[in-house]
Amino acid sequence: MAEVLIRNGVVYDPLNGVKGEKKDICIRDGKVVESVKNPKVIDAEGRVVMPGGVDIHSHIAGGKVNSGRLFRPEDGRKGLEAKTKVCRMQSGYSVPNTFAIGYRYAKMGYTFVMEAAMPPLAARHTHEEMVDIPILDNAALPLIDNNWMTMEYVNSGDMDLLAAYVAWIMKATKGFGVKIVNPGGTEMWGWGKNCSLNDTVPTFDVTPAEIIKGLGVANEKLDMPHSIHVHTNMLGHPGNFEITKETYDLVKGIKTSKDRQVMHTTHTQFHSYGGTNWGDFESKADAIAGYINQNDHATIDIGSIILGDTTTMTADGPMEYNLYQITGRKWTNHDVELETGSGITPFLYSGKSPVNTIQWAIGVELALLVKDPWKIALTTDHPNAGPFIGYPILISMLMSKKRREESSADMHKVIYDRALLPSIDREYDLNEIAIITRGMTAKALGLHEHGKGHLGVGADGDVAIYDMSPEETDAGKIQKAFLNTKYTIKDGQVVVKDGEVVATPDGKTYFVTPECDDKLTDEMMVKLKDKFDHYYSVTYNNYAVQDAYVPNPYEIKTQMRG
Amino acid sequence: MQTIKLKIKDNVTSGVAKIPVEVDSLTPDNLVGKSEAEIKAVKVWWGNKEESTGDLFDVSVDGTAGSADEVKIVLDGDLSRVKRIGDGMTAGEIEANSNVDMHCGAMMSGGKITVKGNADCWAGREMHGGELVIEGDAAANLCAMYRGEDKGMTGGKVTVGGNADECVGQYMAGGEIVIKGNARMLAGLNMSGGKIVIGGDAVMPGADMTKGEITVKGTVQDMMPSFKLEGTESIDGAEYKKYSGDLAMTARKAKGTLYVK
Repeated sequence: MAEVLIRNGVVYDPLNGVKGEKKDICIRDGKVVESVKNPKVIDAEGRVVMPGGVDIHSHIAGGKVNSGRLFRPEDGRKGLEAKTKVCRMQSGYSVPNTFAIGYRYAKMGYTFVMEAAMPPLAARHTHEEMVDIPILDNAALPLIDNNWMTMEYVNSGDMDLLAAYVAWIMKATKGFGVKIVNPGGTEMWGWGKNCSLNDTVPTFDVTPAEIIKGLGVANEKLDMPHSIHVHTNMLGHPGNFEITKETYDLVKGIKTSKDRQVMHTTHTQFHSYGGTNWGDFESKADAIAGYINQNDHATIDIGSIILGDTTTMTADGPMEYNLYQITGRKWTNHDVELETGSGITPFLYSGKSPVNTIQWAIGVELALLVKDPWKIALTTDHPNAGPFIGYPILISMLMSKKRREESSADMHKVIYDRALLPSIDREYDLNEIAIITRGMTAKALGLHEHGKGHLGVGADGDVAIYDMSPEETDAGKIQKAFLNTKYTIKDGQVVVKDGEVVATPDGKTYFVTPECDDKLTDEMMVKLKDKFDHYYSVTYNNYAVQDAYVPNPYEIKTQMRG
Repeated sequence: MQTIKLKIKDNVTSGVAKIPVEVDSLTPDNLVGKSEAEIKAVKVWWGNKEESTGDLFDVSVDGTAGSADEVKIVLDGDLSRVKRIGDGMTAGEIEANSNVDMHCGAMMSGGKITVKGNADCWAGREMHGGELVIEGDAAANLCAMYRGEDKGMTGGKVTVGGNADECVGQYMAGGEIVIKGNARMLAGLNMSGGKIVIGGDAVMPGADMTKGEITVKGTVQDMMPSFKLEGTESIDGAEYKKYSGDLAMTARKAKGTLYVK
């Protein structure tokens, strides 16, 4: 019986209402328990203790990520580290290799990461890479919105059949939840076009608004742990904040049996833009935050910018093309048959650029202007707005107005005219940081019911011990502490000690298997098999991800509601 | 003045497999003021094994130096499998008395390297400054960028006594390259600054260039059709046709100059 006692730490466990109390944490056989008898003792005297971090949105595995690596050997040159007795060799900064992803997240105290965009057809590849990522528990969200089956059911209004299809995709891909990326837009990109929320996608005679609503309804019919996870239309376009707000309104009436949002919109920084062009571009973080403050059905993650070079990658094909047109740097594009597409291009976020400066401000503004931290998550949309290794920078900015003022002074002066950041005084406390990095994210994903994001009895023994006092106010020290933990403990095993990885156990993969009525499935299957017979490059029998690709499964069963 | 002689041992180069030695640690910056014993202890990679310099080279030191400027390293023996000579050096001098392997003078920013033979691929890769003299031929990607990077050489001067292989100065953004002989395909590919002078012939020079200058004193084979003739100019008493390009990169960006006889 392996027992661990974490003694005298100052614990922040927001899901259990623990706000910086001196408290012991007991773990037996990988789970948090009331008490232990003969434990290995870890002294956390006076240090900050939190549940293992839960990242709600990051691109860590799959076709896009790997293409990004192949396509940016110059990024691989950064972050080179030789193998050690424990670790395999590491490379990369914005597109690290699989090993580096696991080690670096673990060093920051994270133990769960959600791969945010899995093309169903590339699900097998995605799982293969997730198996290769050490330490982290993981899951992936299949892209279901620009899918022909989805659009046909949305067009015909058969929500039950749509739900049956979503259920089948979850099972076939071992996916976790419904991901929506520029609905309709990626299909239109197949014809060299893009579309906005209420435009009609002529090939299927549906609008993006109808797709989002339809999948929102189907998601709740299936009682999924997570809500629909939406990258709204017109990412990165000046003036898109109106579309973002309108998107929230679409799902306002959808009922859920779960204690959570009905829509999570991701990397909202890219969707909170005012102005009509890049010349009069401005922050509308206040409008978006205002909506979130007044409504309870939607949550967001910030997708905040980390200055410097990164690799952008998304299923939003037309957006990547636009970005490539701006930078003239290299670009690659991919079409995923009946399902989705993707694009990749490198990008440099520069503090000298007025546009990048405002973008940089918006992410932080969103986090500061949304009053309830249970509605917001910390992300950089890794690697789109910057690599995840920048999280500690964001944490230090949220916790220190002084740090924000110092950073703003180095940015383009436009920050004082067209951004809100300099006028905001709020500073996060550690409890709020714990919410936006583990409590809220676990709850929004429905994973708090499965032992993630908290330290209550029965929870996973995933703990981060940061080498800082809870009274620390120095932004530099805060940043340093959050970059390399004193200890990261995963399922009761010490995986990081004094900022060094000391063990690399395999993580689990979480996936949802929604069950629905056989008759409904049979009816859906007729249409689906027709798609395979006529259009897919693979057969139906070769499509589904076999169990062997998920060697450490964590299955969450749900039942479709009538 | 400190002169450090490093002669590669025969048993290092005589093996069937010809395992390469990487000597980026043997720069004037790193060896300045070190005694013979200290230099012998400096680590170098031999294949996938880290070895001591003294195990692979005969070392002798003459004089002392207070700064890297006053250090001269002389490399003797068969250096054809010695990589990364002078990689990242900022000052001082290196003389290599044979053919050298890849990445000689890569990322150097100062000082001088003289190669008394041929240099393999990637010599002067991403060089920022200083001088590299190759008395023989240079293989492909001379002064180019590492794969994927958007800048090759940005400063310094490189002289090649013989011929150069493909893609001389790829993505070059500054500095000067002088090739006494011929350059194979695509010299100055994607270059955005700096100057390349080719004494002999060239094939498709200047493709995708957006800035900078290429002069070809011999004949050009397969001239890119996307260059525009601007007139003639006299250089060192000879008449050259002056072209601007590469218009394939759009007229707005085509600010490169190509002089052809």
